Amino acid sequence: MKLSMAAKKSKEAYVFILPGFIYLLIVCGYPLLYNIDLSFKNLNVKNFASGEAVFVGLENYKTLLADPTFRLVFKNTLVFTFACLLIQFTIGFLFAMFFSKKFTLAGPIRGLVLVGYMMPMSVTALLGKNVFQLDSGVINDLLMKLHLVSAPVDWLVNGGTALAAVIAVNCWVGIPFNMLLLTSGLTGISDDVYESASIDGATSFQRFLYITLPLMKSAMLSVLMLGFIYTFKAFDLMFIMTAGGPFNSTDVLGTYAYSRAFTQYEFSQGSTIAMILFICLFCVGLFYLKLLGKEDD
Amino acid sequence: MKKRIQKLTALLLLGAMTASLLTGCGGGNSGSSDSDSGSSSEESSGSSGGAAEVTLWHYFEHEAPDLEAIVEKYNEEQDKIHITATYVSREELMNQYTIGAVSGELPDIGMVDSPDMASYVSLGVFEDITEDVESWEDLDQFYPGPLLSCQDADGKYYGLPNNSNCLTLACNMDVLKKAGFEEPPTTWDEFREVCEKTTNAADGVYGFAMCAIGTEEGTFQLLPWICSAGGNIDSLDSPESIKGIQFLTDLVEDGLMSKEVINWQQSEAYNSFCAGKAAMLESGTWQLADIDEKINGTFEYQYALLPKDEEYSSTIGGENFGVCTGTEYRDECVDFLKYLMSAQNNADFTAAAAKLPVRKDAVSLNELFTTDERYAVFNEGMNYARARGPHAQWPTLSEAFYTAVQQSLLGEKSVEDAMKAAAATIDPIVAEDPLPEASIGGGVADDVN
Repeated sequence: MKLSMAAKKSKEAYVFILPGFIYLLIVCGYPLLYNIDLSFKNLNVKNFASGEAVFVGLENYKTLLADPTFRLVFKNTLVFTFACLLIQFTIGFLFAMFFSKKFTLAGPIRGLVLVGYMMPMSVTALLGKNVFQLDSGVINDLLMKLHLVSAPVDWLVNGGTALAAVIAVNCWVGIPFNMLLLTSGLTGISDDVYESASIDGATSFQRFLYITLPLMKSAMLSVLMLGFIYTFKAFDLMFIMTAGGPFNSTDVLGTYAYSRAFTQYEFSQGSTIAMILFICLFCVGLFYLKLLGKEDD
Repeated sequence: MKKRIQKLTALLLLGAMTASLLTGCGGGNSGSSDSDSGSSSEESSGSSGGAAEVTLWHYFEHEAPDLEAIVEKYNEEQDKIHITATYVSREELMNQYTIGAVSGELPDIGMVDSPDMASYVSLGVFEDITEDVESWEDLDQFYPGPLLSCQDADGKYYGLPNNSNCLTLACNMDVLKKAGFEEPPTTWDEFREVCEKTTNAADGVYGFAMCAIGTEEGTFQLLPWICSAGGNIDSLDSPESIKGIQFLTDLVEDGLMSKEVINWQQSEAYNSFCAGKAAMLESGTWQLADIDEKINGTFEYQYALLPKDEEYSSTIGGENFGVCTGTEYRDECVDFLKYLMSAQNNADFTAAAAKLPVRKDAVSLNELFTTDERYAVFNEGMNYARARGPHAQWPTLSEAFYTAVQQSLLGEKSVEDAMKAAAATIDPIVAEDPLPEASIGGGVADDVN
């Protein structure tokens, strides 16, 4: 009798899930399947209208993996992601700790730091483009006036520095984002714990190492995972600030997939890149869920 | 607290993954769910009075009121259809055509940049209107260059050209005269000399500004330099093409042109010229619309043809209008295209919007084209201007070309190596589908004057 009640309840639950499930199926499921299908075909501008695109198996994946440009783009994506994560997490954490101290104006100043995060990415990207200009950019102007460099640095013209400039602009957005999430983690730690540790003679460094870090583990993990996903799929920043250039040095998977599909009309190649992007993020997502499970045990 | 963070994270994670899928190109539907987004800002009003509603998409900005004036006039003159002109940003419009090719969500009439037309024809975005166009008595008034961009390889018509533009050289005559030059340069040697004498590193003034960005805009501005030397995009490894790019590369290496040109859109090079930061500019016809306002009397300027090596050269730009696949009002739309491109309307529109007409008989209908010296230079430039393509894989050719030039300009590769690599990409494509004969040295509006 009890069992059937439970069964009935779970049946009801399914009904409640149904709308959400259908929504996901349409919004996520269909594009995903369509994309997988495309990535195994050879659809491009020449056979699009005639419908002569054929199944080519893993051909697109093989071509891509052998393509030096794709390798460069993949490397850029990794460099961009890890550099951004490292910088924005470290500085974000420091800011979070700093602003958790109760001093006058802590709130308003923290609000100001958040401005970078609240601006639309396209605006930030345009600002970045201007700030890093060769002859009229603020950064070069500043460096020249401080006599740190003898000639203006060609930030966005040179492959290596262009990626660095893009990373810097992304961190300007990422730091407040990290700070925000980590702050909510910090406020969750009760002051009593710190107080009793102080009474027991723990130094501030020890308090950080043995109290803050362990208690923040779950928040930190979340921030890093989210940061990874947001950064790995970056698109708008490069698209506007450098258009992926100079010659692909700031192209990442997102922008490269877009340019293959929508500028070069190599639809299947674009889909394949999007699939690789998806697979990478899916793995990270799984990894995160698994870690969460462990935490709960 | 911990649980809350985890839940929040899981939610954000899900959102992020969904978004990442949608930003990828896989979902043919991802963007089309709201195909009207970005519209409604520029809708023309007017009484519809029972006429069938027809949509027209364009990306005209300062030109929009001039287009809308003609649309308005047409709406009043007939009662079969009522056209609503809607502005969609250029980038978004191009995406919508691609997506619309899958989903069928297309406007009735669409505007397109001439070099992109061939790709969209290939994608099936535009209706074949060959019969209507060929039976039109006005057809022989159209210049062959712009008209060619509306045709596919078999000579079928998918639209009509609406306006043309080309590139010439704008010179800051105050700077040139100060450096001892009374007239704009006409040859590469003279041009180089002017660049050397007018570059002033201390004030951040360069001899020349152009756009060599990694998009179609870059290709547009770069082509004249290889064509003038006798090269072309389908022979990038020829000594002539290499000579052209070497010439530009030397300008950058010798500090006569900013490296930043590889990131500059045409508007940015133009701003640099107007601000007095460059003595000369590779300038497009449309810039006549606001050059006086931008320079604001701070210096005298003069237009001249782009300097030549072997021959004068320029590139044809401009927009076409086509009837989109699947419209219910095909014949009515064709009728509107003919109306829009009638001699008088074409003259009125192009004069108002700082563009060049696409038909011979329109030139004499507005005195601007014959009396304004600047327009006279652009009209002459059209004699040497080449069409890009038409070729369904033009974007691929274009990408190979501008990438090679960027590598050369920045010294990433030697000019020869870069151009050879680009030729290796381009050659197999043009071997299979050659560029049309007319676009190689042809596509010329021979009697604009």
